[in-house]
Amino acid sequence: MTIKLNVINLPKDDYKGGPSSLCPGCGHDQVSNVIVTSAWENGLDPKKIVKMSGIGCSSKTPAYFLSQSHGFNTVHGRMPSVTTGAAMNNKEMTFLAVSGDGDSASIGIGQLIHAIRRNLNMVYILENNGVYGLTKGQYSATADVGSKKKKGVTNETQPIDLCALAVNLGCTFVARSFSGAKKQLTSLMKAAMSHKGFSLIDIISPCVTFNNNDESMRSYGYVKEHDVELHAVDYIPSFSPMEEVEIPAGAYRDIELHDGSVVRLQTISEEHDPFNAVAALAAMHNAEKEKKHVTGLLYFDPTKPSADEDQNLVDTPLSQLSDEQMRPSKESLDEILAGFRGQ
Amino acid sequence: MDTIVNDFTLNIATANGTGSQSANLILMQTIADMGVNVSGKNLFPSNISGLPTWYIIRASDAGYQAPGNRTHIQVLMNKATWEADIEACEPGTVIIYNTDVKLPVVRDDCLVLAVPMTKMARSIHPKLARMIANIIYVGVLAHLLNLDDDAILSALNKQFKGKQKAIELNSTALALGRDFAAENFGEERGPYRVEARDVDDDYFMIEGNEAIALGAIYGGITTLAWYPITPSSSVAEGIINWLPKLRHDEDGKTTCAVIQAEDELAAVGMIIGTGFAGGRGMTATSGPGISLMSEFIGLAYFAEIPCVIWDVNRTGPSTGLPTRTQQGDLSMLYEASHGDTQFPVLIPGNMEECFEFSWRAFDIAERLQTLVFGFSDLDLGMNKWKCSGFTYPDTPMDRGKVLHTQKEIDAIENYGRYRDVDGDGICYRTLPGSGIDPILYRGTGKDEDGTYSEKPEVYHANMERLKRKIDNSRTWLPQPILREEVELEIGIIYYGSMENMIQEIDDILESTGMKVSQCRIRSLPLSPIAEKFVRDHETTIILEVNRDGQMYGILRKELPIELVPRVHSCAFSDGMPPRAIVYAKKIMDVLRKVGATTEVLS
Ligand SMILES: Cc1ncc(C[n+]2csc(CCOP(=O)(O)OP(=O)(O)O)c2C)c(N)n1
Ligand code: SF4
Ligand SMILES: [Mg+2]
Repeated sequence: MTIKLNVINLPKDDYKGGPSSLCPGCGHDQVSNVIVTSAWENGLDPKKIVKMSGIGCSSKTPAYFLSQSHGFNTVHGRMPSVTTGAAMNNKEMTFLAVSGDGDSASIGIGQLIHAIRRNLNMVYILENNGVYGLTKGQYSATADVGSKKKKGVTNETQPIDLCALAVNLGCTFVARSFSGAKKQLTSLMKAAMSHKGFSLIDIISPCVTFNNNDESMRSYGYVKEHDVELHAVDYIPSFSPMEEVEIPAGAYRDIELHDGSVVRLQTISEEHDPFNAVAALAAMHNAEKEKKHVTGLLYFDPTKPSADEDQNLVDTPLSQLSDEQMRPSKESLDEILAGFRGQ
Repeated sequence: MDTIVNDFTLNIATANGTGSQSANLILMQTIADMGVNVSGKNLFPSNISGLPTWYIIRASDAGYQAPGNRTHIQVLMNKATWEADIEACEPGTVIIYNTDVKLPVVRDDCLVLAVPMTKMARSIHPKLARMIANIIYVGVLAHLLNLDDDAILSALNKQFKGKQKAIELNSTALALGRDFAAENFGEERGPYRVEARDVDDDYFMIEGNEAIALGAIYGGITTLAWYPITPSSSVAEGIINWLPKLRHDEDGKTTCAVIQAEDELAAVGMIIGTGFAGGRGMTATSGPGISLMSEFIGLAYFAEIPCVIWDVNRTGPSTGLPTRTQQGDLSMLYEASHGDTQFPVLIPGNMEECFEFSWRAFDIAERLQTLVFGFSDLDLGMNKWKCSGFTYPDTPMDRGKVLHTQKEIDAIENYGRYRDVDGDGICYRTLPGSGIDPILYRGTGKDEDGTYSEKPEVYHANMERLKRKIDNSRTWLPQPILREEVELEIGIIYYGSMENMIQEIDDILESTGMKVSQCRIRSLPLSPIAEKFVRDHETTIILEVNRDGQMYGILRKELPIELVPRVHSCAFSDGMPPRAIVYAKKIMDVLRKVGATTEVLS
């Protein structure tokens, strides 16, 4: 049997992680699989990936993918700050970060907002199930009004739509998908991995234990029936000639990404322009009115510098500087002291 | 009348935002440039403009740095505190007041000198009269104290950084004030004089925060993440100021990232990310910031991530007295976060150490793979102090046990991220991007290989190793400095900014005939030298600027049980820069209480 290798000659197994300890059927596990496939198909070097997460069932998943990459399971809601520090000190890494809706929409909303504001170069994978899974099923701030968990009362508080928030903040890549929509999610994930800047992928990822009865608006049943696909996204890595992908002519639109690769959008709602923030907000708003989730690449802006570019750092990653680069000379100190002494 | 030379305390009462700070700094710099030991304290309110501010300058041939126990010369500029300032004057005080405030000064027992400061200032520049009035009192004092003309001019130059217009304007005002005083206060000018001493060209005045900032740059900081808070902001701002000169390459590219974080929670997260990635991260904050950082601080301890936090201590929460000084954060730092943690705390006592401990902190953090605190306070950080210069780091950077290649890992028998193969509690680590031993960092729930584990024996063994790791540093962190008397009767243990007051306290105590040894603690965990000091002395006082005796508490916990009865707490804090006489009296109270003396201070 021949083993299939990717563009850097690695088998897919090299991208896998340890066995999952999540509930069987948990949406988060599907996302982990997509991360494995996307990183492998994109030909990313596992050594050059750093996995980051906060706290929650979702944030446990970095143990279940990419076991050849370093990672950091940080504290609740504050993974973005740790990622910021790490990214400043090694700008050559690809940061794949996993968070949950409790992690992101409540305790960590401030750090999420500011990471977006700085356009930190990272993929922010939000596994959104409308509940706090790990603490056993409390509502999160993304739970829809009228949603009902298996146990407990109906949620009457309006939800925070993190994609709408991100578009308003000028986030440079905003997408929404569903953990069960493997094909669409893989395309979006691969595109996000190629984007230089902050990519938010808000993934509806059902909690089978606490939030998957049919009255819940994030159950498999509900989402499968109500999901409106905004785009079918197909992703073409830069090392693969475009011609090899079979898409009927006229039914797509290409957007070039930072690494030269191209994201190809098959527009279902013909008028949606992912460079148009207002259109993105309108699409979300309209879907929400009809109690639907709109999926696809909602907003994209490749023009903004990323956080590390803003810093104007030297070419060598800061973690690899020589002692001489880090410690100014004795002469420079003598000169400063002479100045203080008025000489 | 006999003159009193180089031994007085001058208090200037103004409102903040009136430009008095430059006048006060010129005055202090002039005295310093005349070779006379001088110190200055800025007592400022927590707002930007209009509230009372006092600046206290003390000249002392004895070398004393703390404010004296009384004011000898009082300058009155502030309507709001006028009456209280006059009332606080002891008989014999020289009072110089601005007649344009149009309030009376009735003190027959003082020498009261009236100066129309605002009117004189208006004659020079009507629009800037309020600011220039401050320079008028400098001129008046120049006459009264006999300040040297060249020294004043050079101080003016330093203050206005060669800006010709400002220098001219202010020199005119100065001369006006001086001439006015010479004409009107010929005979009656009070007894206080400044006399030039040998000038030591090595000395200059600097704030502790600036010394820390420079130390960090020479320590190889690669990421500064911070959130503004008094009195720590000028540490970060100092670094930002110096980076272009010291850490930018020819193309203006930097070797240090600077991030003004959204809050302290994020600032500490960023430096932890920095340490995880293999860089040198630092933040500066004060007590309220430390409390916000608490959870992350614990994570750094358990995940064993190097990084540095400087705490410039102030009193209380934001609505406390945020512009006042204290040593009230010490015990919080030492055992910060959620249980069973302990951190190295570096405690500088002077400007030279602020610089040294700042660069060393990174070496210590990387060697121990932990979070290291630097502990300063508002008094040390935001006031100007005499400094003899900074010693260039005399050791190469210690980047700790970091493995970069598979070969290095293979050379270690039974390697594991959290396995103590050397027996010193410190394990080897690898960095993201190296591709070797890629583990998922987390808190305590892991075994020696870094793999998830909740086994009780694994947890316990790891916690014992962490304790051993920090314990081992007791002998090589900055060690206490001792000044011991042969009698070995009474010892004082103190730390940090108290260094600037200890000589005066010692002189006061020894004036009663007793002999007092001193031990200045410069780091935690406690050194065995501190323990020996306690063992060697019959009675030891722990002196500190807080309410509860925090260092005392630490000593009680860490000293062998038989030594505990020998240590006694002397802790006091009112937010003011500590005055020697206050603490000397309190020490005497304690000594009498425990039967170590019967003397009473007059
Ligand atoms: C400071 C802090 N507060 C509370 C918790 C408890 N906690 C752990 S996970 C979690 C919620 C996680 O929810 P979410 O991010 O939605 O992840 P999910 O489990 O649903 O994937 C909470 C509140 C914590 N770990 N830390
Ligand atoms: S509790 Fe819910 S979110 Fe957590 S693992 Fe189980 S199914 Fe997934
Ligand atoms: Mg959740």
